[in-house]
Amino acid sequence: MLDVALVSLIQDMSEKAGVEGTIQYWLRVGENLARRMGKEAYMGWPSFNVALREGRTAFSIEGDVTALTDLAITDVDGDVVGYIYALRECVFNPTITRIRYSVGEVPEADRLVAEEYNNSIRDTAVCNFCVIHQKFRDEVAKNITVAGQQLESYQLADRGFTGETKIDKPNLKKIGVNEEYVRSLLRNYACVYAIIMHGARLKGEEEEE
Amino acid sequence: MRKKDLVKDNPLVDVAAYLFLEDIADKQGAAGMNTYLMSLAAALARSMPEEEYESWEDFVDALKNGDSALSTFEEVEMPTKHCVVTVESPFLRGWQEYTKRIGNFASIHYEVAEYYNSTVKPGAIDSQDIIIQTYRAEMAKRIKVEGKQLRVAHIATVAPDGTKKIAPDEWLPILLEKAGISQTMLNMIMRNNASVWIVYTE
Repeated sequence: MLDVALVSLIQDMSEKAGVEGTIQYWLRVGENLARRMGKEAYMGWPSFNVALREGRTAFSIEGDVTALTDLAITDVDGDVVGYIYALRECVFNPTITRIRYSVGEVPEADRLVAEEYNNSIRDTAVCNFCVIHQKFRDEVAKNITVAGQQLESYQLADRGFTGETKIDKPNLKKIGVNEEYVRSLLRNYACVYAIIMHGARLKGEEEEE
Repeated sequence: MRKKDLVKDNPLVDVAAYLFLEDIADKQGAAGMNTYLMSLAAALARSMPEEEYESWEDFVDALKNGDSALSTFEEVEMPTKHCVVTVESPFLRGWQEYTKRIGNFASIHYEVAEYYNSTVKPGAIDSQDIIIQTYRAEMAKRIKVEGKQLRVAHIATVAPDGTKKIAPDEWLPILLEKAGISQTMLNMIMRNNASVWIVYTE
């Protein structure tokens, strides 16, 4: 119920504080949530990936996340510095369905908040909750170390309730993954992201320089 | 789609909502949080379509089946014509995920309930009760049965940790009489349910 109530408030909040105000609120919520989860440390990628599979990491609150271990990300020296992860169902989709069958329709502010976020911060949101969720991931990654290295999250692609997709091409280029491949992942997953060791020298970034 | 078919929410959304409310409380204190909780619930009720029923029996059927907006978010049982029992708190899943992932439910959620009890109505254990009780009261204003305005009143609530809050002693006999249950029956119901309330028309 809290999820549906919160959405009914977005319209009111956006009218009073503006969609920019709602975005600032949501960013803070995502940040607070990650901070409250605490820190984690793993000996290596296998232990992190097992923890993720078993629902023990802060990321696991998202739901059913699959570590695509066939998609290891390597740095310029060929060392594995991260993996691609895929979330089966968007965390906000159940809420949208619940709104549809309880209230009737999702308020327009949902779309407006996502659009403003895409224009002013990064073009990766398909709904208002992407603002909280993506910020949460960014901050959670900073609280986790793998082999003593802090992590970093790269949003790659996501698919919304109505089928709209967003693909972050600059991030794909940095990690050297083909756009069409990630698009094909969206047939079976709702959200795709990479978790990488912070400061890793990625091939794509070196080429840009 | 009926209530029982509604998909479950994702706990991330609920936990984020709790933190959003805590963020409000950091800035505005218990009074500000209480205002926000009540407007949140009122806004939700206002977004629901109005309802009208030709007979009390039609309304009771809709309520029990989850077809009324009053029971959209809760699974209810009705031991008598006017007594409604919520089997499981609609916030249970979010609360469980919060306590699992973050820790103890923040004290502000209880402090705001104390504020609500002293300034609005004595019936809440935590912030969740303020939302659901306000929602029920506001939603009832949008429902007519046999042409008369529906009303709700709260008898008791049981928190996820088992804490109970029963209506004040001076109100209880009247509420129990309207509900058509005894004090012993109330205690029996509270053992394994989340809240007890009544629906009636003047």
